[in-house]
Amino acid sequence: MNYNGFQELAATNQWSAIWPELSMAGIGLLVLCLDLFLPSSRKRLIPLVAIFGQLALLAVLVMGCGCATESTGPLFGGMIESGPYTPYMRAFFVLSSTLVCYLGVSYLSRQNLPRSEFYLLTIFVSGAMMLLVQSSNFVMLFVSLETVTIGFYVLVSYCRYSPFSLEAGLKYLILGALSSAILLFGIVLLYGAASNPALAQSTTDSMNFAALGKFIAATPEEPLVLVGAVLVLCGICFKIGAVPFQIWVPDVYQGAPTPVTAFLAVSSKAAGFLVLMNLVAGPFAALSKLTVPLLSAIAIITILFGNITALGQRNVKRVIGLSGIAHAGYLLVGVVAMAVGVALAPWAIIFYLFAYLFASFAVFGVMVHLAGVEDEIQEIDHYQKLAERQPFLAGVLAIGLGSLAGIPPLAGFIGKLLLFIAAFQAELYTLLGAAIIGVVISVYYYFGWMREAFFIKPALPGDEARPSYPMPGAVGIIHKLTLGLLVVITVLMGLFQRGIFGG
Amino acid sequence: MNIELNDYLFVSGLLFIIGFFGVLFRRNTLVIYMSLELMLNAVNLALVAFSRYHNSMDGNLFVFFIIAVAAAEVAVGLAIIVALYRKRQTVMVEELAELRN
Repeated sequence: MNYNGFQELAATNQWSAIWPELSMAGIGLLVLCLDLFLPSSRKRLIPLVAIFGQLALLAVLVMGCGCATESTGPLFGGMIESGPYTPYMRAFFVLSSTLVCYLGVSYLSRQNLPRSEFYLLTIFVSGAMMLLVQSSNFVMLFVSLETVTIGFYVLVSYCRYSPFSLEAGLKYLILGALSSAILLFGIVLLYGAASNPALAQSTTDSMNFAALGKFIAATPEEPLVLVGAVLVLCGICFKIGAVPFQIWVPDVYQGAPTPVTAFLAVSSKAAGFLVLMNLVAGPFAALSKLTVPLLSAIAIITILFGNITALGQRNVKRVIGLSGIAHAGYLLVGVVAMAVGVALAPWAIIFYLFAYLFASFAVFGVMVHLAGVEDEIQEIDHYQKLAERQPFLAGVLAIGLGSLAGIPPLAGFIGKLLLFIAAFQAELYTLLGAAIIGVVISVYYYFGWMREAFFIKPALPGDEARPSYPMPGAVGIIHKLTLGLLVVITVLMGLFQRGIFGG
Repeated sequence: MNIELNDYLFVSGLLFIIGFFGVLFRRNTLVIYMSLELMLNAVNLALVAFSRYHNSMDGNLFVFFIIAVAAAEVAVGLAIIVALYRKRQTVMVEELAELRN
């Protein structure tokens, strides 16, 4: 490459195009500096800075969503390319990170733990996710993915006085590192095939998605390419918790601090799906003969496994984790429809992710309020007669769970409907059948949880022996407002969808 | 005797598989961790070999990123293992599994 080539490359370094990511990093650094220099009596400012800084960024991003954003083309020498979904996903990750920080405030006040690192890590991880979903080069993808994953290792084992949290951290660490290694080996095989000068369309820039896509379209039968693509997809399936790579999900969700569980369930899964969408529509577009049957099989097993194993659970964090596997299955149906070529599918996935975000954070907000100091022990019995004692929380829980189950007037129903329409247009009838069976099963355990909160069971003789759970006090006004807002958005997204994504 | 690209790839694949089964079947957390590192180094070997034989610099560059990331991962991972050891006085996998239904 000569001097002019470098100049052309340098001209693509448009820092202004990634200002939201830079602002996230800025907020994170600000939190870090405040932690260093503020006197300890003023440390209470730090969460406020973290939350309001992100809220301001979110406000700017949401206002920008309305304007038509044209794609800027590849930036930073082909490392990053923003697509049509980028503005929505940026808003998604900032919103999710703000809510995690918010839940973190009430969680951390109950534990004797360092505070500011929690906000710092959450913000940095979210910024890395925003870069991850835009990366169009495997080097960029790997580095931002590892920034996310290593941040999560620390966050999952954040409660370092609790052996459960540490154990969850260790499990996430080993399986996360294993999935990274599998992903890497896939990348290497793809790189090795694409840089081979003996093959047609071989390229010198073989880590780049666009160049790789051209190469794969020219030689889709090359065995190295097929094995590499399967390994890369397996690595990503680990991150989204699809069967057979789901073994970490229930344990890690149970052991992690509740706000981190929410972060894992919402942001981490969304980032995994966006990467999967980028890959399936980008470099692997020519491999649809391989990706469609592979992902279909994974989707069917994932939906059935997640729903059936969630049936017998009594721990609510495990229920959320296992039902999260089922949600990953529904979203995979959308990805398969996208691989077949349905234009609706990506928007259906994004709508579903937003619906999932609002409903999940409503449920997690209730869980954080009700949890005692021992965060990993949250049983369904804990929610008995919640409607009598705290009717507001019970209402929030009902709407959140209803939306997750897909009850008609709520956002979750419309999200599932859009995904099913996309699957129908793609003529994936088997997948559609499995998904509908899954939804029917899921109603049972979501309603079992709700029934516990709303209907009083006749007291059985053995009931006295059960430990009675301490009921925390009334809900603060800010917590009420936040949860109320989440519920209102869930209902509104169910009633009015037109115009949310520009029609 | 000439060493060809396929020989490097064979060694790399072998290392990767040894590492993979090490993660699945070994019971000591530290040994599992070593197996993970073995997998990453298998990847590095393949990258360097491809890079050399296909005359492309990208692979060599990627190796540096992998080494840096692996170092960060080890720093966090060993910290978690040490903290867990202080709580439980063991690093064996069976004795660490307390998160159950």
